[in-house]
Amino acid sequence: MGDNQEALAMITDQAGRLLEDAVTPQRLKSLLQKPGSFDRDLWLQTVGLGWAGAAVPEEAGGFGLGWEVLCALAGHLGAVTASLPLIQNTVLVDALAQADCGYSAVIEQLVSGEAIATLALFDQGDNGISDTPQLVYGSSGLNGVTAVAPFAAVAGFALVHALREDQSQPALLLVALDQKGVKRDLRNCIDNARGAAALDFANATATPVAVGDGASSLLMRVAARAVIATAFEQVGGAGSCLQSACDYARERKVFGQPIGAFQGIKHKLADIYADIEIARGCALDALAALESNPRAALAYAAAARVTAITAYEHAARENIQVHGGIGVTWESAEHHYYRRSRSLALELGAAPYWRDVLVDHVELLAEGY
Amino acid sequence: MSQNDTRAYLASARAWLAEQAPAYSGAARRGLSVEEDLALGRRWLHLKSEHGYAAITMPKIYGGGGGTEIEKVIFTNEENNYDLPTGYFGISLGMPVPMLLKYASEEVLRELVPPAIRGEQIWCQLFSEPAAGSDLAALTMRATPDGDGWRLNGQKLWTSWAQYSDWGVVVVRTDPTVPKHAGLTYFYVDMKSPGVEVRVIPKLAGESEINEVFFNDVFVPDAQRMGGVGGGFKVAMETLMIERYAVSDEAVGGISVEKFVDLAMRTRINGQPALADGEVRRLIADTVAERQGLRSIHRRAMAAIAAGTEPGPEGAIRKLLGARRRQQVSAVAMDLLGVDGVIMTEGAQPTEDFTESWIESPPLRIAGGSDEILRNTIAEKVLGLPQDHRPDKGIPFNKLS
Repeated sequence: MGDNQEALAMITDQAGRLLEDAVTPQRLKSLLQKPGSFDRDLWLQTVGLGWAGAAVPEEAGGFGLGWEVLCALAGHLGAVTASLPLIQNTVLVDALAQADCGYSAVIEQLVSGEAIATLALFDQGDNGISDTPQLVYGSSGLNGVTAVAPFAAVAGFALVHALREDQSQPALLLVALDQKGVKRDLRNCIDNARGAAALDFANATATPVAVGDGASSLLMRVAARAVIATAFEQVGGAGSCLQSACDYARERKVFGQPIGAFQGIKHKLADIYADIEIARGCALDALAALESNPRAALAYAAAARVTAITAYEHAARENIQVHGGIGVTWESAEHHYYRRSRSLALELGAAPYWRDVLVDHVELLAEGY
Repeated sequence: MSQNDTRAYLASARAWLAEQAPAYSGAARRGLSVEEDLALGRRWLHLKSEHGYAAITMPKIYGGGGGTEIEKVIFTNEENNYDLPTGYFGISLGMPVPMLLKYASEEVLRELVPPAIRGEQIWCQLFSEPAAGSDLAALTMRATPDGDGWRLNGQKLWTSWAQYSDWGVVVVRTDPTVPKHAGLTYFYVDMKSPGVEVRVIPKLAGESEINEVFFNDVFVPDAQRMGGVGGGFKVAMETLMIERYAVSDEAVGGISVEKFVDLAMRTRINGQPALADGEVRRLIADTVAERQGLRSIHRRAMAAIAAGTEPGPEGAIRKLLGARRRQQVSAVAMDLLGVDGVIMTEGAQPTEDFTESWIESPPLRIAGGSDEILRNTIAEKVLGLPQDHRPDKGIPFNKLS
């Protein structure tokens, strides 16, 4: 454990410095301008440092630093609005390792960062994970269109949720995306840096990773883990917004005093601080639950999801207001966070869906010392 | 304190409470008059003092537990699971008595602290006035020199439990010719002194602990001064900071979210179970998630205290969020109860009854730092934002308009 803690501290420390230098406003703005953008240079740089395999167990070829390292890295990425498919790759590796049936070649590519993963689990017009997926997998292969998924524009592999025709039950499928039956539909989005695309499947080749009840429980495992790591990304982003708003409020003067001296501003910022600390608390508890209480992880993940969405949106939205006119210009960085807070709020299922999950599993949230 | 020690302490505290608390809580309190309930509370505190559970962090020689901060937090957490008559002593042992330990002579401590810890005497804190609450340094009650002591004249307000108090700590203005913070001095005072008059102020609902206290030429010996002449504001701030980490229960004295879920299961909206209603589900989810965040913060604060370090500033948000949440959840619960939600049941407790929980909510958002003051504290102390504009800064108190 001591070694792990040291390695963890080293890698996250390094991440903070690297991202601060590499992720410039200019770079972020150029990504925002074109649909399906992806910062491949940064990806290759971080892959070279082993980030893609940092959380993956050693037996699967990773560094075995656990979900804690993924969450810490996600926090750093969130703080500067960098978009890398770290969570997607790590979660897909975990899902394939769970299924345990000869995915070692795919796992290897994902751990090395040679391939990128996308979790294309959502149907068009559904804000959560459906029990009756719209994609169909049958004798003619995989057919249908997913909702927009982050990194689908650049991914080599997708995890999708489909109805298995012959058995009338849902299945989780692994799809190699560089094949004839797959079309990537790049749309202009609020946050083009996410490398997002809808996936259009026409008789595509796919491999079932899990079917029926197995698919449902694996899907929830995937969702919970992705949501927990994303919560750290959201808390990281929210923290940067609060920091930026406070810095500006100390500096900007009106009526002969800094705007931060007015209760209209300082109380707004105190409320954002409270939301962020609540979200951070839920995220930490959810991360701990992955180890200590896996049966309840979904409930803790739901609490982390709901509070992270609230905190990030609150912080990103009001940060622009605190900045006033300058905050609505293309030049300012505040809109990067405003965009990211909303795209992260939608990507893994929206707040109404996760509130429902939380209420359905509320009895799993236990308290003790 | 090691984790094993902590667990062992928790286990023995839990066992002791399970054995002793029922005779002093719940059904044992039902139907009691306030005087009877206070008497029960005194007996409970006395029993605790015999077992080292009263004033856990105070020295044994004065009747305290001689224990650590973490033991106090653990015990209080567990004690909060019972509906015990402890409220009368919260301020007494929470602020005035610890200040006494800091400022009074050994002789005074031996005389005054043990009866307070055993519940035989109660101390109150005379700070707020009609025109000085959040802005404490604006207080006007005067003390003028008289022989080897001082004469006190003026009025204090919102003094909790003054009607049962034997002693009090008081901040008064000794010099109106200097800026407001500099002219204050801090004393302890015998509440049975001639010239002290206590009047209970009825609250909007529930038994009232709040009072106005009038001082008419009350004599206080200079030996009862705590801190220097003119140093009273500093001592008052120390008093307010003394509770390093306030241990309130999760529902801030109100009803739990689990009971709200139960209610939503057995009530209906438009013919459908209320628990299926989107608005109700949203409230449950947000309340539970917020509580989860607060639990995490609380657990980390406990770990910090156990490790002998200061808990982080995030502990300050517990009351800010919790009190508003209690008010909101209670109001929606009354919605679910329908028009009968307006009924007030005789003797109902806010931990059991939504209507009671709602109507007794407002003071929680004022006492111990109003919502606005708590936000100011977070903004200034944590986020480093500037103080509000203070036009009275540096001006002698008697020159302020």
